Amino acid sequence: VTDVERLFRTYNAALVRYLTRRLGDRDWAEEVAQETFVRALRQTSIQNERAWLFAVATNLVRDEARKDSRRRKHLALLAEEERETMVEPEETTLERAQEAAMARKAVDALAERDRLALLMREEGLDYNEIAEALELSPGSVGTTLSRARRRLVESYEALQKDREAREKNAAS
Amino acid sequence: MQHLDEGTIHAWLDGALSPEEAARVEAHAAECPECAAAVAEARGFIAASSRILTALDNAPRGVIPAAAPRKRVDTFVWRIAATMLVVAAGTLVVVRNRGADERSEATIAATAPSSAATSSVTAPVPPAAAGRNSAPTATELSPQTTVTDKAATATRKSTIVPAPAPAAVPRASLGRADNRFSGAGLRANQSAPVAENSAVMSSPAPAAAPSRISDVAAQDRTVGSETLREIARPRRIGASVTVYEVAGDTVTLTESKSVALESVVVTGAAATRQAAGQAMGKSAAESRRAAPATAAADSQRAPAAAMAPTVSAPAVGAVAGGNAGVVSATPANVITWSDPTTGSTFTLTGRISVARLEQIKARIERERAAAAAKKNP
Repeated sequence: VTDVERLFRTYNAALVRYLTRRLGDRDWAEEVAQETFVRALRQTSIQNERAWLFAVATNLVRDEARKDSRRRKHLALLAEEERETMVEPEETTLERAQEAAMARKAVDALAERDRLALLMREEGLDYNEIAEALELSPGSVGTTLSRARRRLVESYEALQKDREAREKNAAS
Repeated sequence: MQHLDEGTIHAWLDGALSPEEAARVEAHAAECPECAAAVAEARGFIAASSRILTALDNAPRGVIPAAAPRKRVDTFVWRIAATMLVVAAGTLVVVRNRGADERSEATIAATAPSSAATSSVTAPVPPAAAGRNSAPTATELSPQTTVTDKAATATRKSTIVPAPAPAAVPRASLGRADNRFSGAGLRANQSAPVAENSAVMSSPAPAAAPSRISDVAAQDRTVGSETLREIARPRRIGASVTVYEVAGDTVTLTESKSVALESVVVTGAAATRQAAGQAMGKSAAESRRAAPATAAADSQRAPAAAMAPTVSAPAVGAVAGGNAGVVSATPANVITWSDPTTGSTFTLTGRISVARLEQIKARIERERAAAAAKKNP
């Protein structure tokens, strides 16, 4: 693929967001996204660009999880070093931090396939693209998504209720 | 017609159905209140899950889910740093023979079981080797060993006599040494109740003494060819600190980054970290200051210590006798320069001459340049 620059401009933002939501870490997400585009460079032709990119990124994450953690440890050290020299750029309110934590928990509670399908859908992939990237039958994507959404919302709301109950207890 | 299943409703709302199918679903939803409610619920789930996922977008950087391993790595790094400190300190206990008047500067070396891998006690030597300035009669009484530290760049030898009683340690410097090292990751040292003011801190063996090194003078001349060895990188906010060993001395290179975090909030931790960075140089110098007990005095005390090695201290790392007046400490010299490409400011500190610091600076810059060239050719 010669127009990797076009690919990058078109899909990088969505891919990084997808990976950030998947991994919970933006640096890691950017690294995986870059690797994905590097792979695209080596490809002679890609049928469905978006499905291909999301599928490759998803596989990279999966492979990475299997691989030895050396590289990640190294990155963690680097990131820590960098953080020591860095002032936190924006203030996150307690409220927002709590919401993010609950969202993380709820997303992590999903089954992997449900989670990936949902995250891909959020980046605008259509059912055929999701089916292709995840090797599902197109007919099952609706079921997968409906299950993912229902579970996500239900577990998030359960977490919210817990928190409210705790706050009430703390207040009284 | 049967009711719509949830997957179909989502597919319809996501626009994934063919026009015919979509028309069928729409028609059914219009006349079936049950399915209309399901569609409304599905809309709610779609919107809510989008909103929930948005909350994930301000994920912080550098929070790779390896929190537990990261902590372990930290401890590991500190452990290595501590080990290196012990080994290096044993290596570079510095004794300098300055001037022509043959003033003897005693300093302290210690060997310990923990560092036995790097040190070997070669053999007892004849008492005569104890140094020209020691009182011969007293020295003869004390058992002596020559310790060769294999980690040393040169074959420096320390002649060791058993430690004088811990009571000889000046109280003030004891306290200071303790402060410097606590909180610096060198927890091993905190438990040592006595004799903290030596360069060799965590040695649990009761082997310590003033010693004499004869070939130090040669080292000043050979700095160019000596290895520049990185022995520690104490962590410090807003700067990177590297402690090098050069020809038996330590120099501390501080690279101050543009962010002056520490100048805003100086925490206790930051202060101790900083102290830790300099501790080695300081303690080496301090032992130099404290160490030059007159050889006679030490030698006289030595036999007593040798006969009664059950000195209450479990760790007599190294002990310096009093009588500090003989040689004053070499003041630390500092040179500062800045790197035009990164804007960082470098500070090189060491208790060695400015000329040697300049030589070391040149070496460091060469090595940094080489490293940078390797990184981006």
